[in-house]
Amino acid sequence: MGAIVIDLEKCNGCTMCSRACPYQAIEMADKKARWIEDRCTLCGACLESCKFDALFGEMPVPEVPDFSDRRGVWVFVEQHDGEFHRSAFELLGCARGLADELGQEVVAAVLGNDLKEKASRLIHHGADRCILVDDPSLAYYQTCTHTHALSELVKQHRPNILLIAATHLGRDMAPRLARRLGLGLTADCTRLTIDPDERILLQTRPAFGGNIMATIVSRFSRPQTATVRPGIMTPLPADSSRTGEVSVAQVDMAACREFTRVLECVLPEEKGVDLASAKIIVAGGRPVCSDRGVSVLREFADAVGGEMACTRVVVEEGFLPATRQVGQTGQSVRPAVYFACGISGAVQHKAGMDGSRYVVAINKDPDAPIFEIADFAIVGDLFEILPALTRAMRER
Amino acid sequence: MNIVVLVKQVPNTTDVKIDPKTGNLIREGVASIINPEDRHGLEAGLQIREKLGGTVTVISMGPPQAMETVCECLAMGADRGILLSDRAFAGADTWATSTALGMAVRKLGEFDLILAGRQAIDGDTAQIGPQVAEFLRIAQLTYVRRLDAQEGKVIAERALEDGCEHIEAPTPVLVTVLGALNKPRHPTVEGILAATSERSPVEVWNAADIGVKVQDVGLAGSLTHVVRTFTPKGARDTRRLEGSATVIAAELLEALRQKEIRLGE
Amino acid sequence: MNKIPRPTPEEMIRKSFARFTDEEIIPKAREMDEADQFPRWMFDKIAKTGAFGIRYPRSVGGAGGNTTQFCIMVEELARGSMSVAAFTAMQCLMGTNFLFEYGTPEQHERLLKPAIRGEKVASFALTEADAATDLANVKTTARPDAEEWVISGSKTWITNAPVADFFTVLCQTDKNKGLRGLDFFLIERDTPGLYVSKKFDKLGTRATEISELAFTDVRIPHENRLGKEGQGVGNLMRILSVIRVMTAALSLGLARAAYDQSARYAMERTQFKKHIGSFQLIQQKIANMATEIWASHLMTYTTAEMIDQGQRPLKEASMAKYYASEVACRCADEATRIFGAYSYSMEYDVQRYYRDCRFLLFGGGTSEILQTIISRECGVS
Repeated sequence: MGAIVIDLEKCNGCTMCSRACPYQAIEMADKKARWIEDRCTLCGACLESCKFDALFGEMPVPEVPDFSDRRGVWVFVEQHDGEFHRSAFELLGCARGLADELGQEVVAAVLGNDLKEKASRLIHHGADRCILVDDPSLAYYQTCTHTHALSELVKQHRPNILLIAATHLGRDMAPRLARRLGLGLTADCTRLTIDPDERILLQTRPAFGGNIMATIVSRFSRPQTATVRPGIMTPLPADSSRTGEVSVAQVDMAACREFTRVLECVLPEEKGVDLASAKIIVAGGRPVCSDRGVSVLREFADAVGGEMACTRVVVEEGFLPATRQVGQTGQSVRPAVYFACGISGAVQHKAGMDGSRYVVAINKDPDAPIFEIADFAIVGDLFEILPALTRAMRER
Repeated sequence: MNIVVLVKQVPNTTDVKIDPKTGNLIREGVASIINPEDRHGLEAGLQIREKLGGTVTVISMGPPQAMETVCECLAMGADRGILLSDRAFAGADTWATSTALGMAVRKLGEFDLILAGRQAIDGDTAQIGPQVAEFLRIAQLTYVRRLDAQEGKVIAERALEDGCEHIEAPTPVLVTVLGALNKPRHPTVEGILAATSERSPVEVWNAADIGVKVQDVGLAGSLTHVVRTFTPKGARDTRRLEGSATVIAAELLEALRQKEIRLGE
Repeated sequence: MNKIPRPTPEEMIRKSFARFTDEEIIPKAREMDEADQFPRWMFDKIAKTGAFGIRYPRSVGGAGGNTTQFCIMVEELARGSMSVAAFTAMQCLMGTNFLFEYGTPEQHERLLKPAIRGEKVASFALTEADAATDLANVKTTARPDAEEWVISGSKTWITNAPVADFFTVLCQTDKNKGLRGLDFFLIERDTPGLYVSKKFDKLGTRATEISELAFTDVRIPHENRLGKEGQGVGNLMRILSVIRVMTAALSLGLARAAYDQSARYAMERTQFKKHIGSFQLIQQKIANMATEIWASHLMTYTTAEMIDQGQRPLKEASMAKYYASEVACRCADEATRIFGAYSYSMEYDVQRYYRDCRFLLFGGGTSEILQTIISRECGVS
């Protein structure tokens, strides 16, 4: 690291450097400047202040290291109770495209217990290789054991890119892993591409509640690591003709201390709705915050065979469970058709549904922002329009 | 129990508007608030202090205006506030931010519990909590919606996508909380008057105070960099349907049928 | 290195009570109004913020704030609900002021401190059937008898009376001395001979309860006279400017609520395929509301600051109250015009502003008497 050196011959005790230092890291002693290492932040303000060339210093300059030997687009495969999470297949689909562009391989990294048999599914969905860490301590997710296992794998194999789903699990583990390995990490990406010139990963994510999109790069660390919003990337269809190596990596799990102890895992009584894979979604906003509103919505959803969904306020008001919330803080969905009923279209909500193939918006307010992203705009009262639609569906 | 609460001052994103001409964020006139989930973290800390005794120290990294946020936390009942403010901290990604916050916590010395909101509404990364925990090499519990602290350990309910888990961790531990955890109290008038007095227990620390080099924090110390920002744009050709509800219903169903959307199957 | 200034207490009180109003009061304002009763639960919530002690020193459990801060607080509360702001103002100022200034340590311990904590509700009884502005005509009497006072008479339009635990009551002690023969007395609710009528059915501020009081030989201890003999009206004058500037602040809160809703609605509501805010007649209304609110604000807070500097600006406080309350009524009226038929619906807040604003026209002195006072202060009478 850098240091400040003071040439006491040249220093005439003018105090300019001491006064220029924002951190009180240069004091005057015996009419000479004296460097206080503990307080110095190497900001360099003193160097510019000295008129007598009495100060020298080398400031560390961040350099972009050469990462040309880093290869492989890795996907961390999330599993629960031995079942691969659907996000893993989405990530494989995305990784396939990136790897083909880079001319590198897609590697599925699996942490779990006794999953070797199932690994071929990952190959069928786009992985070239699959590396497992097989240990009973990895059967159920815990922060420290998983972080340890994955970071050891990354250290052994030195991949170029690492994708992790931005699920609760992924968002618990990925930042911990990144901090441990010194990796830049971009959260909740919705788009990943390769920069044609630099050949680095362009990681695009919403910011400010979806008001703007930011494209972020990690030039200083490898693997380039991102968490990816579930429900955004498209999985590849299974191709059972694909083959690839499935290997078990040796990781010393005894070297890891797990601080936490899981006492109990409670699943909800009503099996969670799977909005992310729903083809038809009927979503309601503030006007459905009444028993009548919910029933009007439900009748229409039943008539079209769709899932009910809603905005945040409907959850907050207690009319539908959080599992049905679409948006920045809820689910991302991409159905074939999304009926937005009484939804104004706040950016936070749009962030979760603007990947829908068709959007039908019903709103009293002709200026509601939802109409900007609607394929079909109906300015009207959902309490008139929805029952009419329900009737029309039943009559068919 | 010695409790540290990490808080961030954020623009109230619900007020943020986009300039329709330039596509830029209009930040003027947008109020700054304590990040909502961080208020729940502070409330949790105050409740635990009421139960077990100890102190609550708030740490916030931000520009000088974030003094307001630190004072608001004192007004709610925190014992001490630390504002990490230095131009060198500006532009930090989560790596550089967790370095600064981690160093500040270390400087405070002994602690049992660190609380923070799950994520901030201006970035939504949810990375700071786990990264500070890793920096300090302590346990982490994220997505916490119920919390019981006892001497030496905490028991928490973590929200999962489907269901939840009950989990125990020894102190010291870092916990990131959800809004469902509690209802934050309002500051008291007395608290406000004490917090805004020039003698209120707020310290401002710069890079030298927490013992970091400028190259390790802020933009210079960041591992990720923003190369482009743009406004998301939904380009759809909107077709307006008009007439009576019955006419609209018939037209819509026919239009969707032509798009090969199969309803009611 | 500690040069970053703290925010001012005024900024922070505004922001904090604005949040309190947005989160706690506004979502419940309609419900409280329709329930037509004192919302004790809301009173308790406000108590938790320490609001009731804002004007009093820490020695009695207060916060040591000033009149400006008090006005900011009630202005923000009034933006959400005039009822809530009105009973808060009663608890902070009129209901407790004389007890604080002239009560014994024992009374402070037993009544004032619990009132500041929100455990007891305070009320203030001045008005009688034939004596409101005309205090010299107060007919409720207090006569000494042994070591006690015996109170007889009745009071009307007493805010908080149906729910209050104690009252500060203006009584005549010497018929011959006119305004110098009046004193304040502390009377607790459970004192024999005190009768509290059922609450009045009112046009507005329906979540504040108001009723009559009747005293039939109510015997209270000697030390319950608050203040030196014959000083009642003089002591009232000492806080009259605070009462008036506070009422101006309440008015400002209501005016802002009416304005905020109007400005938003003007940009939402469309007619002739344009939002109605694009029509010049609507723009004129918005501009006038905003301008008059700004003038009210300046008058209110300039006067509050004069009080904080130790002055007793009765003329300015009367002007602020007169002007701000009239502005509140104009804003409520204009809001009903901007909202059109929707202002007529009980589902919208505008009708509540329209009803509640009338309270401001007489509380703290009617516009007519205030104009008389202002003119007199100007030397024209």
